[in-house]
Amino acid sequence: MSAIHPSEFAFITKHAPFDRMELAHVMWMLERMSLGYYTEGEVIVSPERGAVDRFLVIKQGVVHGEQNVAKASDADTWLELMEGECFPLGALLANRPVASVYRAGTDIFCYELPAADFRELIGLSAAFRDFCTRRIANLLEHSKQIIQAQYSQSSVEQQSLASPLSAIVRRAPVTCAPETSIRRALEIMRDQRIGSMVAVDEDGRPLGIMTLHDVLDRIAIPQIDLDQPVLEVMSMQLNTLPPQALAHEAALMMAKHGFRHVLVVENGKLAGLVSEKDLFALQRVGLRQIGTAIRSADTPQVLQQGAADIRRMAHSMMAQGVAPEQLTQFISAFNDLLTARVVELECKASGLIGTPLCEGMCWMALGSEGRFEQTLNTDQDNAIIFTVPEGMDADQVRAKLLPVARRINETLALCGFPLCKGEIMASNPKWCLSLEEWKRTFSNWISGGSPESLLNASIFFDFRALYGAQHLADDLRGWLAHVASDNSRFLHMMAENALHNRPPLGVVRDFVLGKENKLDLKLNGITPFVDAARIFGLAAGVTQTNTIQRLRLCADKMNIHISEIDAWVDALLFIQVLRLRHHDEESAQGAGDDALDNLIDPEKLNELDRRILKEAFRQARKLQARLALEYHL
Amino acid sequence: MSWLGSWFGHKPKLGADQQHRLAAWQALPPVELKAPVGESRYVVVDVETTGLNLMQDRLISIGAVAVVNGRIALGDSFYVVLQQRAASEKDNILLHGIGTSAQLEGEAPAEALLAFLEYLGKSPLVAFHVTFDETMIKRALRDYLGLNLKHPWLDLAYVMPGLHPPLARKLRALDDWIGHFNIRIDARHNALADALATAQLLQVAHSHAAEKDIASYAELQDLEKAQRWVSAVS
Repeated sequence: MSAIHPSEFAFITKHAPFDRMELAHVMWMLERMSLGYYTEGEVIVSPERGAVDRFLVIKQGVVHGEQNVAKASDADTWLELMEGECFPLGALLANRPVASVYRAGTDIFCYELPAADFRELIGLSAAFRDFCTRRIANLLEHSKQIIQAQYSQSSVEQQSLASPLSAIVRRAPVTCAPETSIRRALEIMRDQRIGSMVAVDEDGRPLGIMTLHDVLDRIAIPQIDLDQPVLEVMSMQLNTLPPQALAHEAALMMAKHGFRHVLVVENGKLAGLVSEKDLFALQRVGLRQIGTAIRSADTPQVLQQGAADIRRMAHSMMAQGVAPEQLTQFISAFNDLLTARVVELECKASGLIGTPLCEGMCWMALGSEGRFEQTLNTDQDNAIIFTVPEGMDADQVRAKLLPVARRINETLALCGFPLCKGEIMASNPKWCLSLEEWKRTFSNWISGGSPESLLNASIFFDFRALYGAQHLADDLRGWLAHVASDNSRFLHMMAENALHNRPPLGVVRDFVLGKENKLDLKLNGITPFVDAARIFGLAAGVTQTNTIQRLRLCADKMNIHISEIDAWVDALLFIQVLRLRHHDEESAQGAGDDALDNLIDPEKLNELDRRILKEAFRQARKLQARLALEYHL
Repeated sequence: MSWLGSWFGHKPKLGADQQHRLAAWQALPPVELKAPVGESRYVVVDVETTGLNLMQDRLISIGAVAVVNGRIALGDSFYVVLQQRAASEKDNILLHGIGTSAQLEGEAPAEALLAFLEYLGKSPLVAFHVTFDETMIKRALRDYLGLNLKHPWLDLAYVMPGLHPPLARKLRALDDWIGHFNIRIDARHNALADALATAQLLQVAHSHAAEKDIASYAELQDLEKAQRWVSAVS
């Protein structure tokens, strides 16, 4: 008659990892748990109390983890724990005291499991063990599965127009003998809920087809006697294809002849029927086709179509749960292709192609595009580096290049890359410079250190060549890596600047929010990682611009453990997933790509995502703590 | 058995095993009520009945959770449904001792109550509005086990106002206090869920009592007595 109330069970199994554990293990745990009460401000666990004696799950209220002041460099930074969250896992697993003070942020109730039972549960339950040891990775995996489940409905089957018809035909065709009455044939169509009927001879050879569409013109209006044989009203002009034929051939045939059905015929016998509807699901264009179309595009209209295809493909990849790292790379790769083609076409149109001017010009991507981190709503950030040919000066070259750059910017805008509001575009005379001018400009920023210089550095130092004379960009990059890594004063100021942007702590209701109770995923979530990686990269002389690559490549030189880098990368990628998903949802609600924002309402996140996001922000703070340590801030 | 039996002074008939278990419970040593909260076990109880009439209505179920050393021990909780007699056949069942309702869900009352006593031990009891729970449980124990329960009870309906005099006028029902202290209850109106809610309120009371240097059951009983007097005169 010992009893655990169902509501306790229901509560605990709502939260990870208990939601994935075997029920028997959850019951085992609950029977050994007690419910503790702490008033606001009360210390629950602290380093002074020695090895942690219990595992806690918050039933109600908020717990604050406070960094131990004496050990400010310790990895455990500030955190806030909410209902359903467990602590202190690391200390329990290592059988050591906690590094932080855990304090009741409000009056709280906590489920508590003695440490000995905690260890036994780890032995009992693989799901629990997995959760405790892999934590973030685990939460992410969990979230990914949920995302995929959400999208699986919309992503039907992954087939392309290149699949053979045999893969598309869903069922054996419904047929009738040629002498069947019209009435009987229509009855069968109604009963089987099909849109067409094929008459076949005794050997299964198709003789004619009647579709619902034909009923009006061929039967109802002429008032045909329904007892006549059906073949009389059937269309004998049959479009047939073998099963090996590809879906796009069928689509083409339908488009050319205006038919809605194609008969799949093998050795003369009817093997199936493909309708226009069957092909709708396949109207996704494959990557290869998009690439080819963009490469060979010769008008802005075709490029616009290409840009639309890229977006559609990105949405579809999103739906398939493609990892954000690959997805942003995909978007960047195709946008590169598109941009390069736009640049090429405009250079051609303006008669620049083939001239020394064009050969000595490099179109550069900056900002997120420069870092290969574009999403669906990236506006333009670009610039030009050029060489000055014999007998000309830089201003003369600029005068020639600027009108072309303006046309490129405008065409890109037509393709869905909004013009940069800050005028960071190649058509701005300030950002269409010779190699020497760029070096001078960069030098001024590095030695100047005004807020504007630092802001510019954060955009321009992520440059990379996109079209044209790549060696100019390489030269500038090599020079910058050398100059910046030597200038600790500049890096110090960059770091100081970056630390002004603190990731949300998770306060009051989960997050510190701007106005409108929204959280800016880009500014609060992505930017801290990007900024810190840039500084680490510059300091370590890394020439890569991608944030993840920067982090990975500077690990050795900065003496940062790879597991720490992995945690940062995971966190960044998760925020990126949320951001992409948010864009995807906005698009689904009809928002144009230029209307996409990065503002999410944390209240609308599911509980799991909210927890991971909080963990991701915690990682961002750890990264910032590392930055602060490095530059004594 | 039951009320009619006791009405005429008959002792209910218990099996040898049941008598033995009852005696064993009675032989348990009393507990020290002056022991600090952090070293004690209290049992918080709530009952469900057929109605609110103390004289006529019957006990349907008992829900109880133990607060051990200040924490609610989830595994140390208890819930039982007493086997019910169909009201119309009451007399009949009384005579035969075995009713058609024996097939109904629920424990035989004597067994259910013995199990409750064994779960309880001599730990002091806590409830909200003790009069109701105490009367129902005492009557059932007398009817089915012939036991005259003399057990310490603590009434949070007096302890809470005693700890928070300014709130006493505003907050009366269990729900009022639970709401005031933001204790979120996921399920109510089941004896076990209500016992759990009451136990959480007891935890809050412990924490507030500690600020007033009230640290034992006995001291809480004193507070309750004082508050009863205050309520009576005011």
